[in-house]
Amino acid sequence: MDPILTTNILNVVYEVSTLAVVVLGLAVVFGLLGVMNLAHGEFVMIGAYCAFFVQAQNLPFLAAVPLALLVCAVLGLVVERLLVRPLYARPFDTLLATWGLSMLLREAVEAVYGRAFRSVATPLTGSVDVFGADYPSYRLLLTVVSIALVAGLVWWFVRSATGRRIRAVVNNPELAGSVGIPVTGLARNTFVFGCCLAALAGVMLAPLLPVNPTLGLDFILKSFFVLVVGGLGSLVGLISGSGVIGGVESVVSAFLDRTYGYTTVLIIAILFLWLRPNGLFPRT
Amino acid sequence: MASFLGHSAALIAALAVLPQLVGEFWAYTLALYFLYAIASLGIGLCWGQAGFLPLGQAMFFGLAAYLSGLSLIHFKDSWLLLLLLPGAALAPGLLAYGIGLLVFRGRTLSGPFFAMITLALTLLAFQIANSWNDVTGGFNGLKNIPGLPGLSDFTDLYYISAVALAVCLLGIAWLRRAPAGVVWRAVAQNEQRVRFCGFALQNVKAAVFGLSGVLAGIGGALYAPQQNLVTPQLCGFLLSADLVIWAAVGGRATLYGPVVGAVLIGILTADLRDEISYWEVILAAIFIIVVLYFRQGLMGFVEPRFERLWRRRTERTLDSPARPEASGDTGLADAGFALDDVRVRMGSVNILEGLDLEIDRPGIYCLIGPNGAGKTSCFNAMTGELPVRSGHIRIFGRARTGTAADLLSRIGVGRKFQAPSLFPDLTVAENFNIGLWGGRARLRDLVRMGSHGWSSAILREAQSRFPFLAEEDRRAGDLSHGQRQILELVMVLIAEPRLLLLDEPSAGLSQAETQEVIEAIRWVGGRLNACTVIVEHDMTFVRELADRIFVLHQGRLLASGTVAEIQADERVRAVYVGASA
Repeated sequence: MDPILTTNILNVVYEVSTLAVVVLGLAVVFGLLGVMNLAHGEFVMIGAYCAFFVQAQNLPFLAAVPLALLVCAVLGLVVERLLVRPLYARPFDTLLATWGLSMLLREAVEAVYGRAFRSVATPLTGSVDVFGADYPSYRLLLTVVSIALVAGLVWWFVRSATGRRIRAVVNNPELAGSVGIPVTGLARNTFVFGCCLAALAGVMLAPLLPVNPTLGLDFILKSFFVLVVGGLGSLVGLISGSGVIGGVESVVSAFLDRTYGYTTVLIIAILFLWLRPNGLFPRT
Repeated sequence: MASFLGHSAALIAALAVLPQLVGEFWAYTLALYFLYAIASLGIGLCWGQAGFLPLGQAMFFGLAAYLSGLSLIHFKDSWLLLLLLPGAALAPGLLAYGIGLLVFRGRTLSGPFFAMITLALTLLAFQIANSWNDVTGGFNGLKNIPGLPGLSDFTDLYYISAVALAVCLLGIAWLRRAPAGVVWRAVAQNEQRVRFCGFALQNVKAAVFGLSGVLAGIGGALYAPQQNLVTPQLCGFLLSADLVIWAAVGGRATLYGPVVGAVLIGILTADLRDEISYWEVILAAIFIIVVLYFRQGLMGFVEPRFERLWRRRTERTLDSPARPEASGDTGLADAGFALDDVRVRMGSVNILEGLDLEIDRPGIYCLIGPNGAGKTSCFNAMTGELPVRSGHIRIFGRARTGTAADLLSRIGVGRKFQAPSLFPDLTVAENFNIGLWGGRARLRDLVRMGSHGWSSAILREAQSRFPFLAEEDRRAGDLSHGQRQILELVMVLIAEPRLLLLDEPSAGLSQAETQEVIEAIRWVGGRLNACTVIVEHDMTFVRELADRIFVLHQGRLLASGTVAEIQADERVRAVYVGASA
């Protein structure tokens, strides 16, 4: 196979699979709580800064994973209790509150680290030969880990008792509560879980991104478009949505430039809102 | 009117005296925040009035600033500026209107979708401004923009901003009190009812968004000559976010809230940003607290008290104009509707399975059938609320399959919903007015105060039948369930429809009220010569009213006939008793 084509295909797969990890956290929270967490991208950003912090302390890169999970879990708990739970019945206000939270987190990080772009060194240097194409090892590893993560979570969601409970609550929260499923606790855990997933994605992506306080914006918008295109509430939708948005953006950006990639994605999202408001795979 | 003039005079006097009180430096600073305040007023309109939130308003501010800056650079001292500068202020309005039509057409829900699209657009605008070096000057922006010809010192700049702000405030004050403002607040309360009253929802919302674009445009167009510098940050999400915070903290639903927010927070920020390193964080926290606990904002504590002092309801002294007759559909033959083999499916469930139903003359008809028979779905299919998979719907002799509810309302189809659907935070008078204006009011009627005084014979009759409806200053949400049912019914009736679809109009009513409703329906149906179709479970109601009964079962028409015929029908009995049909 043509090495340039192979590289491009691998880039698309990388883009799609890492995007899917970020969206998964947002989608699970939205599915279960009906809360569109606009600060989701900021949890990715905090994850990335954890990686930066760990490297600045000369600790091994992997130490960033528990740190990011801890920081975002605590943050998620506090946010769920103070912001999300009081607003369960007011989805529009939740949107506003989490948007305010996203500003708060962004400004807080900026107050500590400033606006400068930080770089995180890649923990795995070198490249691997994939069908004749020289591909960076870290990206390849990331792709594999992301796919495994999404697949594992899907499997767990379908098979485990907790997954079944979550699906029950998504379907009918009142009935789920009346048969003894602890809805409040489940909602809290799910929110924290979503935040942690974002943080994990942030750690993993940190070496490949210009780490700065506004990094989350890009992710929340892209994730939102994925949900628009794929439809809310199904995993097939999530993956196909990530495929369309991540795929189109990386292809267009590769051939033209980033502004065009961004514009194309935006136009696709608007067209979907217009012509297929429930996405490719609507919740039935 | 007198209060409006007094209000205007006070505002203008205050703005004129201000520079003498605060000195030149602060006047200059204020001038800048006045421009931001004008843009923030637009957020107040969209969010505080019509209920949808734009998160990317800076793109309009920035666009106008670039257009105005480029005009001033390239046409310095030319008379063309007299056209170009207003054009720079209006262009963002047109863009906003276009975006509004595009986005609101697809989805009637305001929720996160609109907000996210605008946020994405503002990031796109920033990227374009930042990278299109030849035109925008790229990262460094447009520099050395000449000021407005003939204006020199800081005080002049202040007065230009102050005049612009005063004009915008007075315009908005007028629109908020005019019928247009009532329609906007109605949109925020209940979009479905607004559509079923005959307003094209996407046009209303796009118009509000367009207006907010013009406001941002005015601010931006004046920004360029005042600051002499336009950078990409002016289109960015940070300014967009600030505009929303100002409106929220100042009070998004109030007239002066966005201005107070912009000026107060803007000046505090300018003062404290360097002293307190966490100022932006504190500001974000304040915003969250406002969203959680003080949704009315600062001016929400002050303004309503004053409004109550000078607000008086307009007496209903004008008869509303007659409904414009839809052309070519007069005559008895076209009085009714026909459903031909209509199929509707939701998920994997077939709701209507080849429903045939034809009514071709005025009268009162009842649709009955067990739960799940497809009665309400039949109404939903007729009013374009449920997608029809196959089959045809004709109303007044024309093909109307999938026609939108607002158009149907304008040609004379009125619908009352099962659960009362009205505007709980508006007064009874305003609820009536939405019913009267829909389908009758033209654009100019909506900006005229006199339209508050519209009345109609049916409204007067209804108020004498139901005395509580004459207490027009009450909040609709404070009425009892039965009263709300009747209010919604009257809202539908005063639009004078020729086809009336009533979904369980007597649900939750007392016996005396039910009797009143029966009489009102009979009276109005006769007077309008309308075709009235009622979904009802209450058999006494049906027996008393129905000229003819249609029985639905499992998405099909099971039987039709007079009350006696239906009562004798074996198949109908079987369905109701529970035997399989």
